[in-house]
Amino acid sequence: MTSLSKEGNELAPDQSMVDIRDVIYDVSDVTLRFGGVTSLNNISLKMYRGEILAIIGPNGAGKTSLFNSLTGVYTPQEGTINLAARVGDSPSSVLGKKTHIINHLGVARTFQNIRLFPALTALENIKVGIETRMKASPVESMLHLPRARREEKESTARAYELLREMGLTKRANDLAGSLAYGEQRRLEIARALGTDPGVILLDEPAAGTNPAEKRELADLIMRINKKDGISVLLIEHDMKLVMSIAHRLVVLNFGQKIAEGTPDQIQKNPAVIAAYLGSTDEEEVPA
Amino acid sequence: MKSNVFSSPVFKRLLACLALGFALAIMVGPQQGTQQDYGLAFRQAVFAPRIFLFLGIGLLVFVLVTYWSKITPYFHRSGVAPLAVGLVTVVAAQTLLKWHDPTGDGKFHTVSDAAVNIDGLAPLAQVYFSWLAWPLLFVTVLLAGSAIVLEKRPIAWGAAVLAIAGAFIAPVAQSAYAATTTRIDHSLGAGSAVSGYLVLLGAAVTIAMSKQESADTKAFFGRVLTWRPGLPLAVLGLIVGTLGLASATWFSPSKTNATLTDTATFFTGKGLAPIAEAYLSFLGFILFGLTLIAAAAATYLRNKIVGWVAFALGLVSLYLTLNTMYLFSSAGASLKIDQASGPWQNLGSGGWMASAAFFLFAGAGFVVATADWKKAKTIIVNGLKVAAPKSSDHGGLFGNATATKTLLLVVFAAALFYPPTATSFWQAVLVTQIGIYVLLAIGLNVVVGWAGLLDLGFIAFYAIGSYATAYLVGSLPIKPPWGVISPMLAIPFAIAICLVAGVLLGGPTLRLRGDYLAIVTLGFGEIVRIVAINADGVTNSTRGPSPQVPHPVIDLGFIRFEFGLNQLQYWYLLLIIIVIVVVLFRALEESRTGRAWAAVREDEIAAQASGVNTFRIKLLAFAIGASTSGLAGVFFASDVGFFTPDNFILNNSILVVAYVVFGGMGSLPGAMAGAAVLTWLPEFLKDQVPAEDRQMWIGAVVLLMMIFRPGGLIPAKRRAAELHGYDIDEPLEGSAVPAGEGMGAKS
Repeated sequence: MTSLSKEGNELAPDQSMVDIRDVIYDVSDVTLRFGGVTSLNNISLKMYRGEILAIIGPNGAGKTSLFNSLTGVYTPQEGTINLAARVGDSPSSVLGKKTHIINHLGVARTFQNIRLFPALTALENIKVGIETRMKASPVESMLHLPRARREEKESTARAYELLREMGLTKRANDLAGSLAYGEQRRLEIARALGTDPGVILLDEPAAGTNPAEKRELADLIMRINKKDGISVLLIEHDMKLVMSIAHRLVVLNFGQKIAEGTPDQIQKNPAVIAAYLGSTDEEEVPA
Repeated sequence: MKSNVFSSPVFKRLLACLALGFALAIMVGPQQGTQQDYGLAFRQAVFAPRIFLFLGIGLLVFVLVTYWSKITPYFHRSGVAPLAVGLVTVVAAQTLLKWHDPTGDGKFHTVSDAAVNIDGLAPLAQVYFSWLAWPLLFVTVLLAGSAIVLEKRPIAWGAAVLAIAGAFIAPVAQSAYAATTTRIDHSLGAGSAVSGYLVLLGAAVTIAMSKQESADTKAFFGRVLTWRPGLPLAVLGLIVGTLGLASATWFSPSKTNATLTDTATFFTGKGLAPIAEAYLSFLGFILFGLTLIAAAAATYLRNKIVGWVAFALGLVSLYLTLNTMYLFSSAGASLKIDQASGPWQNLGSGGWMASAAFFLFAGAGFVVATADWKKAKTIIVNGLKVAAPKSSDHGGLFGNATATKTLLLVVFAAALFYPPTATSFWQAVLVTQIGIYVLLAIGLNVVVGWAGLLDLGFIAFYAIGSYATAYLVGSLPIKPPWGVISPMLAIPFAIAICLVAGVLLGGPTLRLRGDYLAIVTLGFGEIVRIVAINADGVTNSTRGPSPQVPHPVIDLGFIRFEFGLNQLQYWYLLLIIIVIVVVLFRALEESRTGRAWAAVREDEIAAQASGVNTFRIKLLAFAIGASTSGLAGVFFASDVGFFTPDNFILNNSILVVAYVVFGGMGSLPGAMAGAAVLTWLPEFLKDQVPAEDRQMWIGAVVLLMMIFRPGGLIPAKRRAAELHGYDIDEPLEGSAVPAGEGMGAKS
């Protein structure tokens, strides 16, 4: 159980951030099937304003399916998902809404396998996200009318601000595809933040990064959460990282929620230990 | 396993190259034959000594491919690039361009055939045309080439001397020949040969003087432009202007070639306006000298004020030149010379060359005056100094702002002042083929290049634009209830109609991806054409609009201009339209819309997740592309007046796609260049190869392009990144076949 032991207490999550009266995502009894395969089975969970909620589980547990259901890529056959991403929003259903609409409602996300626009510069990648909130029409852009010019300036300034936050200022004019792996991860987060979200969904942001980068990433996620007041929903396999930053965890296995609770509770949960290490019964079967 | 010589890749490559030579032998030739004699062309091509020439070409290709890695290091030596450019220019001058216009095709070989039999032709001209021309070129290039390989400087000086000789003999021989005939001469062959030889001279001098191991031509031009920004334009203006003022034809009384001074003599005492008379006799030379000095001083001093002076002087001289041409051609018309009915007739190329020179001088002044001396731009964001944003889409061709301006000015000089010297056939090609398809390619580039949607029915919007125009001007069986309007007024309506058509087609179909969308658009294109054929009562079927669509009229109250049959008028109108469209689209490409298009093309899922309404943005691309096509349709309808559904066949849709891909998908200058080259080529080949072979040669050009430069003529940086990885310092050329396969594979 060394991998689940709690270290790095300096990063301990600040529970006072979380406001459990304000629900961002209210998922109840969601079931998602592909043909005969049930990817998500009767999942219910609540995500509260200000928290870092981690979803963990073995490969194929349905974590990414859940993400895709939350962002409108998939539409579950049963259950309801209600969203109130930004402060003061009244809850509305996610089901049947297009991905970009849900993004406009204040949900940004990154992808497990990085999905940048590789042939655009780092700066332009972020600007794409920022500019989906802008209003200038193509005609205004063609004629360089005042609003188009003003928005262009605003989006450039905001993009530089995000690049600086991510430590990518020097790479502003480099093509996104030419950035190093860790830089691409951060750029993807910057692009997501550019859309001014209330909640950000990070799909395995630490995959493929080294320990130093993992520490930086943990800092970054905490900073986004505390400073910008953005709630974070996180899928991550690195237990050390997850346990050190998450307020709460939800554990999935074979499309079902098997546990939910604080890092301490989860580490002691027998169902979780069984899911991760295999059940003790099976191991003791004689050869 | 024992290795067998016959199964080795080298042997296969040899066979392939010999087969290539064989195929070329069949492709090149007169291809005569009758229905009784099926194999004649084949026998003529194959069972003749000339087959060895073509097999030799195959062998040469084999040697080049096999020893490519040993040859390439030499490419980076100083002087190689100008050597190649000079060689190609002179070869083109001596094979493609005309050396004397009125003698039928008038190309170099016909002139040289004719020159042998002319008594009293200057001996130099006789020698040049009968045998000297080709050996002179090849010896020059050979000397320069061996100087590069052997690194012996004296040889290079020898090449330089020969290049000077070539640059001197070519125009002398040509003017001697032109003097013996009695028809007006528009030929450009000698002028091009001179510029080719001058480039060769530059190459030879570079080889002789260079101390560097390798040379980067692009960086060299970059350095030249930072050093003296107006230099290329001033030099070009000097060459063109000198040729124009000294040797080119200005006017053609009784079909003779009158140079500037001849024209002055001709009009003396014929009541020409004093300003024109002054220009012809002395003012032209003085203006040329003054403007040249101003442009040179501006370039040398890099002084903005002198730059503006050269700019102003160039424009005033340009105006005076055009005014003079107008005045003396009107005077010629009033004297009924050569049945002239109005101004601008019976003019030679001289006046236009002088105009181009003044334009280039003004351009040199402009470039100096507006050059930006700061190296890198920075902006202040939130109190932090950072590098200014650079779009990922600055085309690879334009290194910096000065280079872009220089290139654009040269293109404008050619676009403004070359067409008047072309024959009416080429003027018609320029407008109805090249110009219109350039406009179509610009429109399709939005759809295919920027938004990444393959549209195989693009010509349908062109058809809708054309028919909409015919309807609005009252040339179709059904008449508009609000009365007819003029073609110029029809432009906004036709654009709007195509916009709506684009949305109507895009709405239901843009949910489809890639191949499926291509098939649906292909079907749409055919539906529009077949409806145009079958809806007899609406479109008048294959009989076309009747009465014909009238020519456009520009009526601004104080100025009224009626277009007639002269294609040149349409060319300038089209040029204005293209410039406006390009300026607008350029702004769009750099805007949030352009970035959203690129995002959708690169990764639709990620674009959606970033909040881009992908459906709307794709629909927008479709609609903008369609409206551009509609604009081309208005222009086409009012220019030709008469068209049938056959103008809008599937083949044309595919050709427009080919133009965009050939030029460089997603690159605005690329799409335009691709359309221009591929529409020019078939018309050009008309004179060169049998009609049935034309498509084969075009196919060969496209094939070679896709193998050796898959990014297109002028690749877009954004696309180049997709093709070649993301290290933008790497050369843009990649390969259509994976490494380790195809011709370049290591055995």
